[in-house]
Amino acid sequence: MSLEAVQVAVSSIPAFTVSRMRPLLHIQAGARTDLGRVRKNNEDYYAIEPALQLYVLSDGMGGEAHGEVASQLAVQTILTHCKQAENSRTTPIFGESSPDVSERTNRLASAIHLANRKVFEAAASNPEQSGMGATIVAAWIDAQRLSIAHVGDSRAYLLRAGSMEQLTADHSLVAEKVRVGILTPQEADASEMQSVLTRAVGTSSSVEVDTDEQALLVGDFVLLCSDGLTRMVTDPEIASTLLTSTSAQESAERLVDLANENGGADNISVIVLRVDEKSEGVFQRLKIWKRHSE
Amino acid sequence: MSRLVLMFEAAPLKEVPLGTRPVTIGRAPDNDIQIDNLAVSNYHARVYVEAGSLVVEDLNSLNGSFLNDIRVERAMLKDGDAILIGKHEIFVDQAHDAAHAEDGLRKAPAPRVHETMILDTEERRKLLDLAVASGERSQLSPERLRVPTLTVLRGRTDQKEYRISGKLTVIGHSKMATVRLRGWFTPEIAAQINKHEDGFYLGRGDHVPKINGVTISGLTKLNDGDLIEVGRVRLNFLYRD
Repeated sequence: MSLEAVQVAVSSIPAFTVSRMRPLLHIQAGARTDLGRVRKNNEDYYAIEPALQLYVLSDGMGGEAHGEVASQLAVQTILTHCKQAENSRTTPIFGESSPDVSERTNRLASAIHLANRKVFEAAASNPEQSGMGATIVAAWIDAQRLSIAHVGDSRAYLLRAGSMEQLTADHSLVAEKVRVGILTPQEADASEMQSVLTRAVGTSSSVEVDTDEQALLVGDFVLLCSDGLTRMVTDPEIASTLLTSTSAQESAERLVDLANENGGADNISVIVLRVDEKSEGVFQRLKIWKRHSE
Repeated sequence: MSRLVLMFEAAPLKEVPLGTRPVTIGRAPDNDIQIDNLAVSNYHARVYVEAGSLVVEDLNSLNGSFLNDIRVERAMLKDGDAILIGKHEIFVDQAHDAAHAEDGLRKAPAPRVHETMILDTEERRKLLDLAVASGERSQLSPERLRVPTLTVLRGRTDQKEYRISGKLTVIGHSKMATVRLRGWFTPEIAAQINKHEDGFYLGRGDHVPKINGVTISGLTKLNDGDLIEVGRVRLNFLYRD
């Protein structure tokens, strides 16, 4: 029932407006998560909600299997909260909203605040899971607007017109030291402290969430990934893999293979989004418009 | 036995026992604790016992010595204190017996490389202080206090002037556009402006815009007074008071 409502909402976004058509972006998604070649369990987790064009990836941390618990709980909480918000305007907002971003982006941040609370409460009520936490990077696409929200060192990249931009700033000790100017990027890459996070979901009662927005264009690629990819594969390698694959799924698989070939020191997770034009060309759109205007 | 432990990024580099002789700290190689970093003066500071108390004394260094994040010239030390010199920290460990030392080790295990972990609150606080300090510096830049605006010099738009504040400002015909271009055959998204920590950046849309007559190649930072051309529309990017 609730899912139907969502689909209605999505398909009712008009392919044509009063005077002209909206651009029809088609988002092709591919994803893969992999154990890597060193770890014994996969603490990464991701989920895709095609009806909402919502994509969430998480890298869990905490001993035993608790990292897995944290990443799954965080991702599922985010999906549930966003779905609920789509169906009901009265869904409460968690955390503070920012006037600098859209309602959608604030909703995504709200979902991460709620995930933080859920993971923190789970850890508090189960001493064995104490200290568990997770990174989050999430993307939500509304027509042409891409909302990004993140906590931790999982990243979002945008590959546009041949140049790749990291949309997220890592919440890690070394990255923050680079930002305040007490460490060079070279020192950061060589540091043994790369795994020390300054923010994570579920490790304290509240968390600060970073957000960003982009207007998507045909030909763009959006990549969400855990550090298991970015520590093993360089940015140029990532860009060329995205550009030379025939599908988003192929990109995702090739990126994971590359990370494994280069050592696979950690779990590797990627979500690749390819922004294509919907197959309807201008003439077809005019026909649709004509049909509807008759 | 009491000792000083030199740390860099939470990793111990060196230990020096505390005896009757002062322990010297500096960049010159003849120091007891040598720190090879340009932020450290040749003879930067020393630690010694005076009247039964352990004391740190800054030797008029250029960048200062910090005791628990406060700049000091001369200060008494106690067990667990941290002296910050440049990017290095020197911990005061006045453990009295082996058991105590063992205990201390268990409380603060060496971080395991590649094991993701969250920074403890103490370290976080230090980092936050640094971030605040750097933020204060950037707030001194005059642009920070002024309002970024786009003034329309030519072209059909819904307003003549726009204040820009959000993370994303779209120029185009699209409903999500802040600067709405009118007329048929205008692109949905002609160009976009992204707000970053250090300012506003112009990026392409379905068109590639020009700044001051030059077609941009990738994201380009906007400076006060820049002339933006997108198709037939001309905009002036200005920081206003």
